[in-house]
Amino acid sequence: MRLISAAATSLGRLVHWGLTNVLHRNASQLPGRIALALDPQLIAHLRDRATKGSIVVCGTNGKTTTNNVIAASLEASGMRVLCNRAGANMVAGVASALLSGGTADLAVLEADELSTIHILPQLRPDYLVLLNLFRDQLDRAGEIDHVQDTIVAALAASPSTKLVTCGDDPLSMGVAVRATQAGTKVLTFGMGEDLGLAPDRVPEARFCQACGTELRYEYRSYAQLGKFACPNCGFARPELDFVATAVAVDREGVSFDFSRPGEGTRRIHADFGGVYMAYNLLAAAAAASLAGVDAAHFQQALDGYHPANGRLQRFGVDGREVVLNLAKNPTGFNQNLSLLLADERPKAAFFVVNDNYNDGRDISWIWDVDFERLAGDEGMHRVIAGGHRANDVQVRLKYAGIGAAIAGSVGEALGQLADLPDECPLYVLTNYSALWPARDELERLGERHG
Amino acid sequence: MGSGRALRVVHLYPELLNLYGDSGNILVLRRRMEWRGISCEVEEVHTGDHPSFVDADIVFIGGGSDREQRIVCDYLLEVRRELAAFVEDGGVLGAVCGGYQLLGHSYLMGDEEVRGLSLVDLYTDRGTPRLIGNIAVESRISPQPIVGFENHGGRTHLGPGVEPMGKVLHGYGNDGTTGEEGCLYKNVVGTYVHGPLLPKNPGVADYLIARALERRFGVAELEPLDDAAELAANKVMYDRLMDEEARG
Repeated sequence: MRLISAAATSLGRLVHWGLTNVLHRNASQLPGRIALALDPQLIAHLRDRATKGSIVVCGTNGKTTTNNVIAASLEASGMRVLCNRAGANMVAGVASALLSGGTADLAVLEADELSTIHILPQLRPDYLVLLNLFRDQLDRAGEIDHVQDTIVAALAASPSTKLVTCGDDPLSMGVAVRATQAGTKVLTFGMGEDLGLAPDRVPEARFCQACGTELRYEYRSYAQLGKFACPNCGFARPELDFVATAVAVDREGVSFDFSRPGEGTRRIHADFGGVYMAYNLLAAAAAASLAGVDAAHFQQALDGYHPANGRLQRFGVDGREVVLNLAKNPTGFNQNLSLLLADERPKAAFFVVNDNYNDGRDISWIWDVDFERLAGDEGMHRVIAGGHRANDVQVRLKYAGIGAAIAGSVGEALGQLADLPDECPLYVLTNYSALWPARDELERLGERHG
Repeated sequence: MGSGRALRVVHLYPELLNLYGDSGNILVLRRRMEWRGISCEVEEVHTGDHPSFVDADIVFIGGGSDREQRIVCDYLLEVRRELAAFVEDGGVLGAVCGGYQLLGHSYLMGDEEVRGLSLVDLYTDRGTPRLIGNIAVESRISPQPIVGFENHGGRTHLGPGVEPMGKVLHGYGNDGTTGEEGCLYKNVVGTYVHGPLLPKNPGVADYLIARALERRFGVAELEPLDDAAELAANKVMYDRLMDEEARG
């Protein structure tokens, strides 16, 4: 290791130690940021800290959960893992995770899609898991084409990295096709059957990535994910390497048969629900399987996995259940609405939209969320708007036929439910920067239910 | 009451030009007509359709990525003559972002000059950086300042005699230098303001509806609606932007 790298590493580790042990602060960003300032090639110099290699997870929705499940399953198999669990997924967050401990067997790192171009060439991971691509934060990330170009370039700069991606997603397959042409080895996962769920909006990617013809679907799972084929050219859902069949999805959990050709089938189940979660777990199972995790250890990791990061986290406040989840773009939000509608109990919802830089300052996407579905649900007893853009959310809801009051905090929203019975849960859906304050508030207000 | 009155909205290529919540613009037009007893028929024009503007009252074009904008441009050039006749006859046309650029003589896609619809005397070239951020505009077509978001690499230049939609109070507007935003020509409104445009700017929505009613029925009066939520959202953003201006 060069002297400057050694100095950068030592300083980064010192900052990490100071933050965690002296100041008791979150060390997910700062150590990496400081060390990177000294040594821009830091990640390349730290890659050997994971002696058996690394896996990087990217994709618009589901990165943190998928990444953490992969890490937990490796640990359940007895491996030592370096991981940016809190979701700090830019270059500084990845560097901080690599600085955080001693050596480990594997690094499992979540990366922001646009950061892959900085991370992959230096880290040269064994696998890049690309979960999905949806429209998100147009003002910051630009159009999806730009995100795709970036990932293709990142893979080209790390030729030993294999791409593991969602074969059901035309946008991810657009990346895969181009990466294959450039010599990257690609493995795909997807649903082996029609899940038979109520159709939702397809906000993007209705057209062939290669020739622009409208895609046809044999079946569709959600958004643009499904068994697609272009009627005009050869672009289609590929033969899958990892398949989920006999899929059961409901609000309480998901289960499916996971199969990898030549390896037989095993049942995977988890008590967190939603069709997007089935895809996340399928991706995690594929990556874990490639890293040598056996079925029993993967299931053991899922059984012990309790999201504490505001992803489908449940709390009890004065006898009322509060469910907190991240919803930061139309597809994520629409998936959350599906979960909410699957809850047959009378219920209430608090939608919080901020417009800080890391949320995307442009919130026009709220008009692509299918709030109209809530207007027809008799169990939906109250809808409340919050966040810096509470007024915009209120207007959006008004045009969906839903009268909503505004609340400045989760506590205030709960206060507006005083006339509703305790059995009526409150769903709190927030975008990125509103998530941690909401979680902190709920941890103060009530008790956590896993 | 608006008994028996009906307006026809033609939404051009919603599956291609939908980048910035543009369906919200159509929803707002529809609701604000229905709340006044005016029935609203929305016709979505898809690729492969041959749109007709003969019975149209309001035509709407949204924004899309460069690739999608180019596809739409090719389709619309085929019906340019009909669309131009609609505009010259006082037909109401709302165009946002990429749709706004299509109204002019040309725009740039990368370094390639793409021929536009020449419905309004304007053209668009490019500049760096992209102009991204919240925007507020003072305009004669809206009693409130028009607020929204802009995100465009294009710099749009109006021909002599083409009126801008308004004056930029915060943000960049057409080219980031003239202090002008959008265009007004006959009953055409072109603008970079999305967010989308109409929900928080009910004055603009009602302007489009009133012009269409006037053309179809000769009467432009609109019953007032309870716009408390819309105007509050408008004011919150306007006050925030003016506060940013004041602090420099």
